[in-house]
Amino acid sequence: MSDARPLSPAAVSVLQAIAGGIRHGFDIMDRTTLPSGTVYPILGRLERAGFVRSRWEAATVAQREKRPPRRYYEISAAGTRALAISVEHYRTLGGGGRGTPRLNPKPQRS
Amino acid sequence: MSDRDPRAGLESATERAWSAAAEATWRRCRALVRLARLIVPREQRDAWEDEWLGELYYRLASLDGAGLLDAGARRDLVARTLGALPHALWVRRSEWRLDMLMQDLAFAARVNWKRPAFSLLVIATLGIGIGANSAMFSIVNAVLIRPLPFPHSDRLIYAFGAFRGGDQAAISMPDFLDYRARSRAFDSFAGRTPFGTVVLSSGDDPERVIAPRVTANFFKTLGVRPLYGRDFLAGEEEGEHKVVVLSYGLWQRRFAADPRVVGTTTSIDGEPHTIVGVMPDVLGDIFPDQLWLPVPFHIDETSVRRFHMLRGLGRLRDGVTIAQAQADLDVIARQLEAVYPENATWRLRILSYRDYIVGDSSQVLLILLGAVGLVLLVACGNVASLMLARATSRQSEIAVRTALGASRTRIVRQLLTESVLLAAAAAAFGLLLAIGLVHGVHAFAGSLLPRTAEVRVDSTAVLFTVAIALLTGIVFGLVPALHASGRDLATAMRAVGRATGAGRTLRLRDALVVAQVALSLVLLAGAGLLLRSFWLVQHVEPGFDPRGVISARITLPNNRYRTHDVIERFWTEFLQRVQAIPGVENAAATTMLPLAGGGDTYYYLEGQPPASDADKRNAQVNVSTDDYFTTMRIPIIEGRPLGAIDRTLGNDSVGHGTIVISHGMAERLFPRGSAVGSRLVVDLGKPFHAEIVGVAGDVHAFGQNAESPDILYLSSHQSGSFSNGRFMSLAVRGHGDKLQLAAPIRRVLHDMEPGVPLANLASMNDLLHDALATSAFRTRLLTAFAAIALLLAIVGLYGVLAFTVTQRTREIGVRIALGARDRAVLALVIGRGMRLVALGILLGALGAVAAVRLLQGMVFQVSTLDPLVFAMVIGLLVVGGLAACLVPARRATRISPIAALRQE
Repeated sequence: MSDARPLSPAAVSVLQAIAGGIRHGFDIMDRTTLPSGTVYPILGRLERAGFVRSRWEAATVAQREKRPPRRYYEISAAGTRALAISVEHYRTLGGGGRGTPRLNPKPQRS
Repeated sequence: MSDRDPRAGLESATERAWSAAAEATWRRCRALVRLARLIVPREQRDAWEDEWLGELYYRLASLDGAGLLDAGARRDLVARTLGALPHALWVRRSEWRLDMLMQDLAFAARVNWKRPAFSLLVIATLGIGIGANSAMFSIVNAVLIRPLPFPHSDRLIYAFGAFRGGDQAAISMPDFLDYRARSRAFDSFAGRTPFGTVVLSSGDDPERVIAPRVTANFFKTLGVRPLYGRDFLAGEEEGEHKVVVLSYGLWQRRFAADPRVVGTTTSIDGEPHTIVGVMPDVLGDIFPDQLWLPVPFHIDETSVRRFHMLRGLGRLRDGVTIAQAQADLDVIARQLEAVYPENATWRLRILSYRDYIVGDSSQVLLILLGAVGLVLLVACGNVASLMLARATSRQSEIAVRTALGASRTRIVRQLLTESVLLAAAAAAFGLLLAIGLVHGVHAFAGSLLPRTAEVRVDSTAVLFTVAIALLTGIVFGLVPALHASGRDLATAMRAVGRATGAGRTLRLRDALVVAQVALSLVLLAGAGLLLRSFWLVQHVEPGFDPRGVISARITLPNNRYRTHDVIERFWTEFLQRVQAIPGVENAAATTMLPLAGGGDTYYYLEGQPPASDADKRNAQVNVSTDDYFTTMRIPIIEGRPLGAIDRTLGNDSVGHGTIVISHGMAERLFPRGSAVGSRLVVDLGKPFHAEIVGVAGDVHAFGQNAESPDILYLSSHQSGSFSNGRFMSLAVRGHGDKLQLAAPIRRVLHDMEPGVPLANLASMNDLLHDALATSAFRTRLLTAFAAIALLLAIVGLYGVLAFTVTQRTREIGVRIALGARDRAVLALVIGRGMRLVALGILLGALGAVAAVRLLQGMVFQVSTLDPLVFAMVIGLLVVGGLAACLVPARRATRISPIAALRQE
């Protein structure tokens, strides 16, 4: 998955959700309305490509709330670039090339 | 991930209180996740599971806490958890690096494309092997493996009579009824006459068709329902009913596939019969029958226990084994024996219907399948050798890639992908070939093998092909791959730019050549034996002169030909008129034309009746008109032939007359004196006392590959009690070809009996040829396989030697520079090649000695260890080997020492 190639539409929406501050797998599914069997492989690919990073929340937080810890995802700099290129790609496709390039897509608020 | 300590969190978390619904959902989802977890590669399992459980728990707890965990939410959550399965599969699959596989594939395709000659050679070699195997497997599958096309066909059995001195006999009708009534082993037990033809004349084109008589339950026993109309009613077994059931094929051909024929009448042997039903096509796969008539039980001729005319077809009751049924039948046999003395030693024997249909063709087919398997092995050997050669020539490339960090697995996988890709192409080619070959089987072997109508390249055969292809790809790819990548890197790097150090590869390729030669020898020995046996059998004197003789069957209708006198009058006039046809030398009629079946009976020397059944002797009975011996040119060795004079010498009503016997029989019966003048008593329904007036030469009446039987020749003037002459074969010796002669004969017959066809028209040469057709079929097939194997082995040897010469260019150049003569160089290369051939021949000869034992029963007139065959086969391999050596050897002599040294 190189920088130059646009991501798939589903990957774009997942990446957009993460860029928008949605950090957990199930929440990303809610946001993108994609099924779990699609979202997790996309997350795996994005992580392997270096577009997102995943971490585990601190054990202390989970223990305080008496629940197992959750894994969360963050977008990387490369991911932000890739998202921009992809968004631009789909925009030009959709708008016949007239769209204004936006290199730094603003996170859409939830 | 060092900040992760999920276990601790999870354990304490589960103590947390939530609703029962939440707990139930949690358990269900957790079970799903833990199931999917098994798919995930081991080292990722824990993290993978924790992520899912963490999310699930969090979601459940928050929904439960907010009071939002209704049935819909729970369902959604379970549905979302189902996604763990595709997720797990994705993780597993991505471990296999699909992208890398694609990369390998693309590279492999490019590599193979860049060497079209190599690739085509591999694809063709392997494709021929795979194609031949798939075709052979399709045949074996249809004939031997696939069940018969009837419901629960494993319960169908075939029943026949056996008695002391006879086997495979038919069952008499009264016996059949007794067995059917008494046996408890069968759901149903049916009978069918094994022979029987009738003349069908709807319209003015009479035709002889195969028309056995069957019991009313015949179709029900098979489990086949009529396509239209009905099958026979139980009442139609009693007495004579003029009803007929048509086969699908006949209905299509003669009745325009019109369902409305049911209920109409058609003429059979000149009498109107009502068509009551049409059977589906499936019967045609197994039975040659064109129509069926009901068995007429309880009429005069069918009430005699000594007249055996039925074969049994039974459906075993569920759970009853063949052995149990046989025991049941044996008890009945003893009961019948006690009541009817003529049933002494008689019993009914059964075997599974499938075994009966397949018969001894299973052995032939398995041998051919084995042979074609050997061809595939030789082909694989060749391909492996080619791959090895290529791997050797690519050592530099591989060394460079290894040096750049490619792992051994990566390189092995790359090479493996290349070979599997080639194997896949070969499989596609082979499959096309198999489809063509199976078409050929339908055309050539239709009548030689049972169940050929069912042979097709089916899904099993396709699976079989794919399995062979993959296996071959892996086997012939793996060895060179491991070989090429297993080398010490430093050595390999040093060899970059020079293609030396191929010693280990060459040894492996040498071994392959030896194996190929050995396998070819096994196949060649088998083919050689069959060929020699076939050649010898073809040159067996048949005992008559087939040249210029044509034959046909004539069956006179029984409504007008009831007495011997009427029939004899017909034959006398008919044969006179045929003899008058220009170009006809002689004409005769006989009940037992050579190669057209026969029938036997008992006899004994007058005054020496057999003490027991065990001493009964039997011989074939041939009832002929006067000119039979002249027409067939069967020599009379002693005495005289039968002729017009015998009309007055016999007295049919008191049962005595004259007879001619065959030579072998005379030698055995009268080893020290002349047979002529002695008297025999022959069982022709009633005793027939006959004086031997002549001895005729032996005739191979059952084919040149069978012993000549004992034959009793009777004059048609005297044998009214045995053969009323309604069923006779006509033999005509004349000039011109079969069709030229047939036309005027047919006109004579039409003048005398317009409704009677001249059936089974054939020249005696055709019949001789047909009798050997099965033998010719297997001989040709095995020879073709052996030829392919030989060719492949020669190509393999050539490849190895050519490669050796290239490898040793420098060494040979030095030798030439130092004064080696051409002869020495030739000897160097040829010696190396022939050493391999010699070793292969040695191993192959050992294998062949073991393998040809399988051909016992298929070769005649020659021992399976025939030294001539073995010598010729070995000679052929030596010549082939020399031919393979010659080109590389000559090239070696032309190596220029200067050019060779400059290579360095």
